[in-house]
Amino acid sequence: MSKGEILQAISDAIVSCDVNATEAAVERAKKEGIEAAEIIEKGLASGVNEVGILFERGSLFLSHLILAVDAMERGIMILESDLPATGLGRKPGVIVNGSVEGDAHDIGKIIVSGMLRASGFTVHDLGRNVPLQDFIDKAKETHADLISLSALTTISLNRQYELINMLKEQDLRDKIKVMVGGAPATQEWADRIGADCYAKNAVEAVEKVKELLLLK
Amino acid sequence: MTTEHMLRMGDGKRVYLTKEQILTDLRDGMADAVDLGDIPELSGDELDKLMDIITMPSRMVGVEAGMEVPVTHDIGTIRLDGDQGNSGVGIPSSRLVGCMVHERAFGADTMELGHIDYSFKPVKPVIAQEMQTMEVCQQNMVIPLLYGAMPNMGLYYTPDGPFENPGDLMKAFKIQEARESMEHAAKHLTRDMVWIMQRMMASGSDGVNFDTTGAAGDGDMYATLHAVENLRKQYPEMYIEVGMAGELVLGLHGEMTYDGTVLAGLWPHQQAPLAAKAGANLFGPVVNTNTSKSFAWNLGRAVTFIKAAVKASPIPCHVNMGMGVGGIPMLETPTIDAVSRASKAMVEIANVDGI
Repeated sequence: MSKGEILQAISDAIVSCDVNATEAAVERAKKEGIEAAEIIEKGLASGVNEVGILFERGSLFLSHLILAVDAMERGIMILESDLPATGLGRKPGVIVNGSVEGDAHDIGKIIVSGMLRASGFTVHDLGRNVPLQDFIDKAKETHADLISLSALTTISLNRQYELINMLKEQDLRDKIKVMVGGAPATQEWADRIGADCYAKNAVEAVEKVKELLLLK
Repeated sequence: MTTEHMLRMGDGKRVYLTKEQILTDLRDGMADAVDLGDIPELSGDELDKLMDIITMPSRMVGVEAGMEVPVTHDIGTIRLDGDQGNSGVGIPSSRLVGCMVHERAFGADTMELGHIDYSFKPVKPVIAQEMQTMEVCQQNMVIPLLYGAMPNMGLYYTPDGPFENPGDLMKAFKIQEARESMEHAAKHLTRDMVWIMQRMMASGSDGVNFDTTGAAGDGDMYATLHAVENLRKQYPEMYIEVGMAGELVLGLHGEMTYDGTVLAGLWPHQQAPLAAKAGANLFGPVVNTNTSKSFAWNLGRAVTFIKAAVKASPIPCHVNMGMGVGGIPMLETPTIDAVSRASKAMVEIANVDGI
């Protein structure tokens, strides 16, 4: 098999949500001497990106997404000892994610957490109906780079604005980025409340977080 | 100077667009539906008609004479007496008064009785109250009065119910356990919905409205279709309405099937035949509104989806038209300019049987 075929096999194993096949394909790539960073970028991450697209189109579903994330993490574990201290192998950022207080919706937020984890970020998912101060406390405890806030109702949307104000009051706004999302949120809303970014779905969330944390 | 027309964005904000911009958005919205649903495009004439409807100068519009359709109502009387940060306007009134106001003042063609929690599970401990209220309402009303509630399978998971929360299990990569939890919850949900409706039918209900089916994913729809099938066998004349929660059945389980069809990922034109197969005699398709896109984009997309659903459906389709669905902006009280235009388009272009 050529290098391209080996990397494609890793990507295909991720898209098939097959943890065992992913591990075997990563082991093979490692044995063939392919750089760990390249295996992650052109094999594992490429597969997860494809899964994200298929998920958004309704061709793959939440359980598949979670399995793909699991497969990705197992693959990274195999490569961990070969990864350099910086670059693609480094955990590129710490994120606290959750649905704001007063909002019981969970699904979209879980998907965002999964996609961010699959992209190499460390994610602390606080769940749903989370008191605003809990986001801040967790961010302080974990030295988080970004807080991600999901709100699925027009009523809970304002909590995103309140959290940004709380960060300002506690002198943390300059240290922690804020991403907002959820059905009623828009780019205009994010601009109006002073959020660092808005993402309309999980795939875009990964892109926006990468822009904010990796290209800064 | 180019004439601009006032439209809404999906979040309700006013925007002013030229005819060329509106046409571009209509085409883009339509193309999105065609791509996702693998369904036909609207014809040139239909796009022209959509353009006419959107650019009509009147603040509100109506259907052409002779094209009037029935209007069914969900959410029960909560629209009137609800005052808990929901869509209600907080007018103190009994549910009997609420139902009769809908019949005699609002011109509703069907109505439903609903509990303030509006989910089947919380109705169980107050079933006697619901039965008595249904009986009193039926004694005072003429139009079909259904019992309405959300399947809301989320209430069967911790912390609200007995089964472990699939979201928590999935976060721990326990996929099989999460799927088993959904399967158990679905069985209990089916059983509860049938039990409740047996009692409501004994109290004179004309039928049931399963509102926001699929809100908790494919397991929610699985449970509802089985409840429909069960009820249809027991009550051949019962009126059964299945309204959806969203345009796409979310695949939380991913592998649940009904009649050999995987439920996850079904679009409105694929959902309708399954609801009919189970025994429903009315289907309520939903198309979600994108808050970042214009009314033209959202309406072009919604009409394309709904037209395909109506065509594929062997039973009448009463399209969901309200906050954040059917091309209508996401506002607690949607604006009449958008509501009336979207409704006219659904009737005259998508050929819906009702709203």
